Amino acid sequence: MIKDRVVTLSATILLLCIVMSFLFPSQFPTVDNFSQIMLNLSIDTIVAVGMMLLMISGVFDLSVGSIVAFSGGLAGYLMYYHDVNFLVAIVAALSGSLLIGFINGFLITKIGINPMIQTLAMMGVVRGLSLMLSGAGIQNFPYEYNYIGQVKILSLQSPIWYMFAIVLIFSYLFKNIAFFRRYYFIGSNEKAAHLSGIEVEKMKLWGFVIVGLLAGIAGILLSSRLGAALSTSGKGLELRVITAVILGGASLAGGQGKIVGAFLGAAFMGIVGNILILTRVSGYWQEIILGIILILAVGIDQLIQKKK
Amino acid sequence: MKLGLKNISKSFEVIKALQNVSLEFHKGEVHAICGENGAGKSTLMNILTGNIQPDAGEILLNNQIVIIQNNQHARSLGINIVYQERSLTDGLSVAENIFPLPPTKSFGRINFVQLHRQTKALLRQLDIGEFSPETMVATLSPAQKTLVEIAKALATNPAILLLDEPTASFTDKETTILFSVIRTLKKRGVTVLYISHRMAEIKLIADKVSVLKDGKCQDTLSTNNCTTEDIIRLMVGRDLQQVDVATHSSEEVVLSVKNLCGKGFNDISFDLKKGEIFGLGGLVGAGRTELAMAIFGAIPANGGTILKNGQRIYNRHPKQGIANGIAYLPEERKTLGVFLQKSVAENIVSARLYGKGYNVKTNNQKAGEYSRTLNIRSSSVQQLMSKLSGGNQQKVVLAKWLNTQPDVLIVDEPTHGVDIGAKLEIYKILKQLTADGKSILLISSEMEELLLLSDRIAVMREGKIKGILHKKETSENEIIKLAAQ
Repeated sequence: MIKDRVVTLSATILLLCIVMSFLFPSQFPTVDNFSQIMLNLSIDTIVAVGMMLLMISGVFDLSVGSIVAFSGGLAGYLMYYHDVNFLVAIVAALSGSLLIGFINGFLITKIGINPMIQTLAMMGVVRGLSLMLSGAGIQNFPYEYNYIGQVKILSLQSPIWYMFAIVLIFSYLFKNIAFFRRYYFIGSNEKAAHLSGIEVEKMKLWGFVIVGLLAGIAGILLSSRLGAALSTSGKGLELRVITAVILGGASLAGGQGKIVGAFLGAAFMGIVGNILILTRVSGYWQEIILGIILILAVGIDQLIQKKK
Repeated sequence: MKLGLKNISKSFEVIKALQNVSLEFHKGEVHAICGENGAGKSTLMNILTGNIQPDAGEILLNNQIVIIQNNQHARSLGINIVYQERSLTDGLSVAENIFPLPPTKSFGRINFVQLHRQTKALLRQLDIGEFSPETMVATLSPAQKTLVEIAKALATNPAILLLDEPTASFTDKETTILFSVIRTLKKRGVTVLYISHRMAEIKLIADKVSVLKDGKCQDTLSTNNCTTEDIIRLMVGRDLQQVDVATHSSEEVVLSVKNLCGKGFNDISFDLKKGEIFGLGGLVGAGRTELAMAIFGAIPANGGTILKNGQRIYNRHPKQGIANGIAYLPEERKTLGVFLQKSVAENIVSARLYGKGYNVKTNNQKAGEYSRTLNIRSSSVQQLMSKLSGGNQQKVVLAKWLNTQPDVLIVDEPTHGVDIGAKLEIYKILKQLTADGKSILLISSEMEELLLLSDRIAVMREGKIKGILHKKETSENEIIKLAAQ
């Protein structure tokens, strides 16, 4: 079933690309257009990798979008107002993001707060924090900071390379490392996993920490690419990322999904977004279509579950 | 109303749950149905309530053939059931729980005055005076909740009421109250089908008792003319001679539990010897599973010590239990034992995810070896666990635990819900393991299984060991006496 999803989604993406190439031969199948699509989906994919990890273990995190804004905001704040070295600023931003993930995980696993409630509340708290940090927006970062997200390697902007690196690393980890493999067992049957000697709570806590870190990395890349930290960055990102992950084969019940599915799901959404721009569909409609895709993805997931 | 079953049969894949069962229930009688786990009691109940359809046979209501299509249909025919699991809503009052469709005034407003009046009348009929219609269900004890369930079932005015192990978590006093309610029902002409394996209760409340074994009805006895021993004799006595029961127990103590206390058990001490099968007998709820889980590390123990090969060990998490050479095969296979959506191979390695690497190839190889030695029937080790039969799933779980190389294997109801063939295979595997020097702690509610496999048997009741019996010197009756009383 999961294998199927990777295959079917790849096929769908390929089909979309072929059709679009015929309809918009001068605009769609160009190197520029594709590198733009990739650049746009790189931030989403990096967060989606973390979300896939959580959904494999049967939970999710709604605060990722806010963490993206917070991370860029904190780095920007430190560099702009306090002249902090860019590396120190990055380390601070990543530590902060990681800490938010840790607080989420701690309250969920040790205190027993429902993950949806906890991360929903954290989404508000962290969004507020990033407003405090970056206000109307911070610009004029040091050259080195902007370089991280704007440099081109083999004519592709660096976030695309970071994205591929993260997808490849996590794919490898999920295939070959026992630690990551345990997430499948937790999502498949939490109680049985506990009795199998898996430290379910600790593993879940780590999951939220990893997601916080990945969202932090995404936030640094986004602000450095834009050369600005905006408090509105990453708004609605959680919706896009969860949609991508479900499209990519994760199940709300947990225990299923592959890391590469997160990339494919995000790629599908990126291409759909590109199509909507090329066909001049209004921005409002884009939001509506995004929501409909999520409902369809979950609906199909439910139908598959019922068939089983 | 007279309810009759004629030659009812039902199979689930290879398991014959009921074979040619014929029974008759008369108006106003309390008819007990007993049998070991897996004897077919719940299948019978499900057929009577329309949850499942029999493969063959007829159900006769006042000598008319009926086909009970579903639960609702059963209720309209006058058959209602009170399940073991509760169906009450804690946040509502007794009255609202009893009448899910309450009387209403205009605009769908609930007529509470009438609702409470009719609830009060119903409770009075049953002589229940401990709580009022307005009482919140959340504040009631488990026994009181069962009474509410019974009242709820009676609100539909059934002619036949099925009670599925109603006293499972009751104190003696609560049982007395329940019995007086049952007697009231009897006077009103309601037929009560009473499922239980507590012999004393059956003698006390039932007029007749039917015994099921391996899906067959052994006999129906009148409780006035039979003894508890007669009933037990009908319940057991399966042909299990094929299993080699030679003992491999040595004198070397592998695991020593001293004064262990925890939630559900108290002051437990025993020694487990190398190559021994040490049985833990008792009724459901006696604290055996809790004890096993505490030894393994799945739930905390509050006091006492555990020594393994003379060294004190502390198991605070299953991970430590596994590292200390203890394995635990849980009672509820579906919810605690297996990963249904994972493959056979993944299930087998699931308790050993503590190396650094995870290599699909070596895992598959290892799973293949276990498949051969334990005779696990699957199309390949890649097959999804959910596609396997209960017996094969259980063998996979057994393989999973053998893969952790334990010295002590705790098996909790290892043959629950598996067919007789797989059962014998599991018996042979367990015996073979003791021959290889492993020690086994066997929890079983099946007397026969306990007596067949165990070298010694500790009987638990209400969280305490009431006696440790040697297999050669004990009998089923002695165990039941210690367990139930």
